[in-house]
Amino acid sequence: MKIGDKSIDFDKDGFMVNPGLWDEQIARAIAGDEGIEEMTEQHWAIVNFIRNYWLEHDLAPAVRLICSDVGVGVRQIYKLFTSGPARGACRVAGLPKPDGCV
Amino acid sequence: MSYKPVKMKKRNPDPGPGRSGDSPSLTGAEDVVARAIQGLGIMHATACMHCGFCADTCHIYLAEPKLENIPAQKFSEITRYIRRRHTLSGRLFSRFVKNGELTQDVLRKISDAVYGRCTACGRCTLQCPVGIDLREIIRIGRKMCAAVRQVPEGLQRTVDNQIQTGNQMAIPREEILSTLDWLAEDLKMEMKDPSIEIPIDQPGKDFLYLINPREIKFFPLSLLSAAGVFHAAGASWTLSSRWFDVTNYGFYAGDTPAATELTRRVIEEAVSLNVKEIILSECGHGYRSFRWEGPHWIGQEYPVSIRSVIELLDEFIRAGRIRVDPTMNPERTTLHDPCNLVRLGGIVDPQRRILRRTVGDFVEMTPNRENNFCCGGGGGMLSMSEFGDVRVASGKIKADQIRATGAKIVATPCHNCADQLIELSKKYKLGVEIQAVVELVYNALIR
Repeated sequence: MKIGDKSIDFDKDGFMVNPGLWDEQIARAIAGDEGIEEMTEQHWAIVNFIRNYWLEHDLAPAVRLICSDVGVGVRQIYKLFTSGPARGACRVAGLPKPDGCV
Repeated sequence: MSYKPVKMKKRNPDPGPGRSGDSPSLTGAEDVVARAIQGLGIMHATACMHCGFCADTCHIYLAEPKLENIPAQKFSEITRYIRRRHTLSGRLFSRFVKNGELTQDVLRKISDAVYGRCTACGRCTLQCPVGIDLREIIRIGRKMCAAVRQVPEGLQRTVDNQIQTGNQMAIPREEILSTLDWLAEDLKMEMKDPSIEIPIDQPGKDFLYLINPREIKFFPLSLLSAAGVFHAAGASWTLSSRWFDVTNYGFYAGDTPAATELTRRVIEEAVSLNVKEIILSECGHGYRSFRWEGPHWIGQEYPVSIRSVIELLDEFIRAGRIRVDPTMNPERTTLHDPCNLVRLGGIVDPQRRILRRTVGDFVEMTPNRENNFCCGGGGGMLSMSEFGDVRVASGKIKADQIRATGAKIVATPCHNCADQLIELSKKYKLGVEIQAVVELVYNALIR
């Protein structure tokens, strides 16, 4: 798929095949596919936290860490990302699909 | 009842990444078949008359009606091999024909079929006019693949995570403890009761509650709800920080030594915590594995009893241990039946009794109960990205079923189904919210 001037491949779950190519424009495109009309400040805070955590630990953060860092309530995150933190927020943040039952 | 320690069975020694190349030898897969047909009987593998009745029972065939998606076709390579090796005519004529030989190429075809085109939901087995257990033959195929490391990569990684770290999401113990503290704080506020605790590693309680690691890592509201309901019921319970995982990816993969080890750990944890019972969080294959398969894997009856949390919630409501108000869940709600819990697990009515008491407008989807369609995410599908397109396409039937009910909420007693249903709601624009049954019970609590 062509996003901006980059050609981006997604796996069959819709996660980026090359997470290194991620940028904000791609994040907006994935968010659009998630049904998020506009990426608010809170959306970005969550996405950037997940992204940075993943760059540092090579791992998706647990929802507790996301909520505590960004300062959103546990019920709020499912309103912002209706697919939840894994298939929603992690996907927008350009992470590979987390393993297991998600 | 006494408990005899179980030794871990030998697993395939090569911890490679799954289906990456040719297996050094196919003997392991051949041994699987030789053992399996003794148990199942050769009739199951050779009695198919190719009548095609199974076609319309399968959500994958209905989504894409082509020959290779007919359930009986999915195991044709397996039965061809069984005929060649294990029937008289096969043995007599095998030297003249190649048909039915087990090669690397054939094994890869089996792997694609048994993992990628079948969710092991068992709906075809229910309809077979000659009574063939089709699902069991698919399981033989999965066991063959697991024996020679031909399990799809994402699924294999999940099994390996579970064996190596104790839970399928490799969550470290500190993260589990911190998350439970954090959830307990939220629960105290929500229930306006500062005395609430989420007990962990506490010996001598009535039950050990097993959870899906997803309830720690990504979707903690079901765990928060369960803790709230248990508190309201005055239950004596504990979680374990060591062996707490209700899932069993060894079962999905067909890796019986891994499945056995995962069962052994939990049963021994229940013994060491000295609980009377194990209660399983909402999980289809977890229920099937622990309740029905586990005792066979570890070769003995459990020294503790074991139930689904659905049975426990039903008991709490019926015995008046919690009081619930259905007007707290006013929106129309339907119920998805997880195959492994309902058709293959036997838990059919408790969830319905619960919803009738906790939800204002409960409607069934059609078909339902043991005749329900798979959501498309069963059999480990959610961990195998390579089959993501099949998974979403085959969920269309479920999406249509849900849409026809006009429901705003879909309750399902399975976290795995829940993930698939969330995605179906997005892809097919259903606009529904997916909830665990325990979440609806928690909402309805009269405090």
